[in-house]
Amino acid sequence: MNAIITSAVCGVIMMFSSVFVENKKTYRHIAAVLLLLLLAVNVADTYGIRLFHIDTKGMLLFDRFGYFFNSIAIASTLIYVVLTGRDIEKVGTYTAEYFVLIFFVLCGVTILSSYNTLLMLFLGIEILSIPLYILTGADKRNLKSNEAALKYFLMGSFSTGIMLMGITLIYGATGTFDIYVTPKETITGQPAIVYSLLESAGLILMMISIGFKVSAAPFHFWTPDVYDGSPGVFTSFMATIVKAAGFIAFIKLFDARADASGVEANAFTGVDWKMLFAILIVSTLLIGNITAVFQQSVKRMMAYSSIAQAGFMLFALFSLNDVAKEGLLLYAAAYSLASIGIFAIMVKMKDHTFEGYNGLSKTQPVLAATNTIFLLSLAGIPLTAGFFAKYYMLASVMKTSGYLWLVIVGVVFAAVSVYYYFRVIQAMYFKDGEATITEEVSKGFKVGIIVLAGLIILFGILPQSLLQWFYF
Amino acid sequence: MSTVPLTHILFVSTALFFIGMYGLFTRRNMITMLMSVELILNSVNINFVAFNKYLYPQKADGIFFTIFIITIAAAEAAVAIAIIINLYRTHKSIDVDDATELKW
Amino acid sequence: MSALTILLDANVNSSANYFQIGIQLLVAIGIVIVMMVASHLLGPKRSTSEKLENFASGIESHGNARAPMAIKYFLVAILFVLFDVEVIFFYPYAVNFKELGWTGFWEVLLFVAFFLVGFIYIIKKKALQWED
Repeated sequence: MNAIITSAVCGVIMMFSSVFVENKKTYRHIAAVLLLLLLAVNVADTYGIRLFHIDTKGMLLFDRFGYFFNSIAIASTLIYVVLTGRDIEKVGTYTAEYFVLIFFVLCGVTILSSYNTLLMLFLGIEILSIPLYILTGADKRNLKSNEAALKYFLMGSFSTGIMLMGITLIYGATGTFDIYVTPKETITGQPAIVYSLLESAGLILMMISIGFKVSAAPFHFWTPDVYDGSPGVFTSFMATIVKAAGFIAFIKLFDARADASGVEANAFTGVDWKMLFAILIVSTLLIGNITAVFQQSVKRMMAYSSIAQAGFMLFALFSLNDVAKEGLLLYAAAYSLASIGIFAIMVKMKDHTFEGYNGLSKTQPVLAATNTIFLLSLAGIPLTAGFFAKYYMLASVMKTSGYLWLVIVGVVFAAVSVYYYFRVIQAMYFKDGEATITEEVSKGFKVGIIVLAGLIILFGILPQSLLQWFYF
Repeated sequence: MSTVPLTHILFVSTALFFIGMYGLFTRRNMITMLMSVELILNSVNINFVAFNKYLYPQKADGIFFTIFIITIAAAEAAVAIAIIINLYRTHKSIDVDDATELKW
Repeated sequence: MSALTILLDANVNSSANYFQIGIQLLVAIGIVIVMMVASHLLGPKRSTSEKLENFASGIESHGNARAPMAIKYFLVAILFVLFDVEVIFFYPYAVNFKELGWTGFWEVLLFVAFFLVGFIYIIKKKALQWED
């Protein structure tokens, strides 16, 4: 509760700071301080210090999983603002408003990590998406940015429509929005076939719609355009924290629902969720990885790579056990931190193609070295956080018997992904060229990015250091 | 008292949903596409009210959900119109086919 | 009638239930047709240049209606829609306000306060200012 209200209030504070504070440079400092406050408030909430006592009537349910994800999301946003705050200022004239929208997105994220009814899920997703439509089109003079905003809006509102249709069907089946109520509890003594059919259809629609939001194939087609068109700094935010929040919403819903509507529970109307998710995973991994291989621009490659990473996060949805939930948190943290780092370096580059990175190790050795660590982490090389994240995901599938082929598919595509991540490393270290940077990199940025790379290696060596916090 | 059966209302709302979807995919004018999205949302509203009235009349849950949908739809429309105006100013057209800077 | 039978009852002979709706449709369409035909037949046809002009509520018209408008109008219109729709949340409160008592009152006051914050923000941002 602390985080939801505080993030909304922080957004309002930022709003008024845009009116009363003249100096553009102070906005990012204000935002960083407010994010630090938000993080502190959320950690306090984790340990039982509640600032607000509100009876949500079962609308929101706060648990350790949600709190922990909130902390990851807020901490990543803090790192993101510290690293790329200067670049956010360059996007347009409304600097403070961008931070306002980021705070409102965080409000949506915190709702998504604690919702207990479908109403709150809907509100959370909308609070998350509507500011993002604006952030995508933030570069008002740039045609690409405008187009990306339009595409994002059309696809986003379309998926909202599908999700709402799913919610109505589930409401028709259960008569409540509570995610833990299944038709069998509400309808007793009657042939409940119609109701469980409604429920299954509704859940499939929800799956499609959240699949849109997290850009799982075959609902991924908006992703490359939107990520490519929107300003680089906001692509970074969209591809990391927001996508992770989508997965948290996804797993919360299906953790509550999938068992009761699966084939094991109901042979006639149940849905084979495992099979459906397996298809989703394979197609996402296939499209994301194979298309990423053929990209010429690093920004577009990162868009496809984010689809591929979404495929790996979908493994958690497939297995839905404790290992999967832990692993999803670790994956969210590892993926967000590494991608934020790569994007932070990318927005400093003048040329976003692979050739633009040629010879970066000569001109900017620190950036090249840290970028290598981030890329290795995304590829899942041992000693980085990405390795354990992928390991947890595959281990969770191993616990489900009969799906060993899925693990093999995962490993194969992880190997494919190494190719295109290494292309960047190859360009930086083994090719001659003049990698140019738009402006001189400040010392603070270098320190920040080294700390970020250190964090990734720390989680890679001791993944328990992150996860044990989750347990006590 | 004889009433209109639920299936008929569901038929109307489903038809509206697919009309909206059809419009979204075939129309190239951005304003018309926005209207199609609103059609989809309104079909969902009809669904909610019908389910609430026929199946679960003891609580007004579904009707409250429609209120939230209406407000969110307004917010979405505001953002969409802002985006469309912005695109029109740089592009001088509100036809989606003219927006080809990014290939699908 | 139980809930399930309503859902499954596809073969209810229910055309009679739509009688009122049909009447209403007929009347609505009929009025429109009668009005249009009657005004066309009965009205005198003397067209002068003043009468052929666009009707702008009695104000002298400013040329074609499809002339581009200032962006200010759109901004105000969008803001109006946003603030107008939020009023919808007062309806449930208005129906239940006696039962909700003081807690409900404070909660609605909080809602209005958030509203007001947004309103102050747009005023401070000079979004409602007509003259530059």
